[in-house]
Amino acid sequence: MRQDKEKRAPIHITLADIERAYKKVDEFQRLIERGKTPEQIFKDMLRLIEVDK
Amino acid sequence: MISNILQIILDVSSHHKIPTVIIGGLALPAYDVARTTLDIDICIKIKSQEQLNTFIEALEENEINTKQKPKIDHDLFTVFGKNSEAEIWLKPCDAFPWDDQMVEKIQLFFGDVFVLAIEDYILTKLARSDRSSIDIDDILKIIISNKDSLDWDYLHYRIKWLDLESDFKEIVKAFELDFNNNIRNISRDILDKFK
Repeated sequence: MRQDKEKRAPIHITLADIERAYKKVDEFQRLIERGKTPEQIFKDMLRLIEVDK
Repeated sequence: MISNILQIILDVSSHHKIPTVIIGGLALPAYDVARTTLDIDICIKIKSQEQLNTFIEALEENEINTKQKPKIDHDLFTVFGKNSEAEIWLKPCDAFPWDDQMVEKIQLFFGDVFVLAIEDYILTKLARSDRSSIDIDDILKIIISNKDSLDWDYLHYRIKWLDLESDFKEIVKAFELDFNNNIRNISRDILDKFK
């Protein structure tokens, strides 16, 4: 299934990008270790969206 | 209790037996990743224009309205509730439609909230026509968090299906870059699994 690839932005990932991704994953894991569940995080995100609207 | 508009949409789609998943940034916690987002993106698998019309009428009965006239071949439409809005997609991504395997692989997040299989979700990020650096960051985080649970064969199959091999190789290069600079075992594991 071919797509119109010309439309997509090229991918260029720097060392800083990948290091930041690892850092964000660690931050999420720390939230889980502190007792937050992915379900609670999802609901927190939803609350923030609704406040914004 | 989740948000009013989301709960109503999920209730209506469940009542009409319409497969429904959360997509976009809001789905990320289901894959052990999070970031801020301002959008509620929901994807439904509609069989016919008649079913779509029935779904929209049922939403209207619950005070959720659209100003558009959605057609089954559209990508998405926007619905508005009292205090919030949501985008309802008719395909998982603007670059590809639903297929039976994708529906079979839908996974339960919690309660009545479902998400795409992680590999299909990655594809929505990689294939979208307006993909941004945020989508690429999401893919990196998802791979790091889920390297041991990813179905790499299925992911390869889907990447090939959309002719995205060269794009995904750029993602893999990031882990090579990290391993060459930081000797991080997780990056090495990901590179091994990709092979």
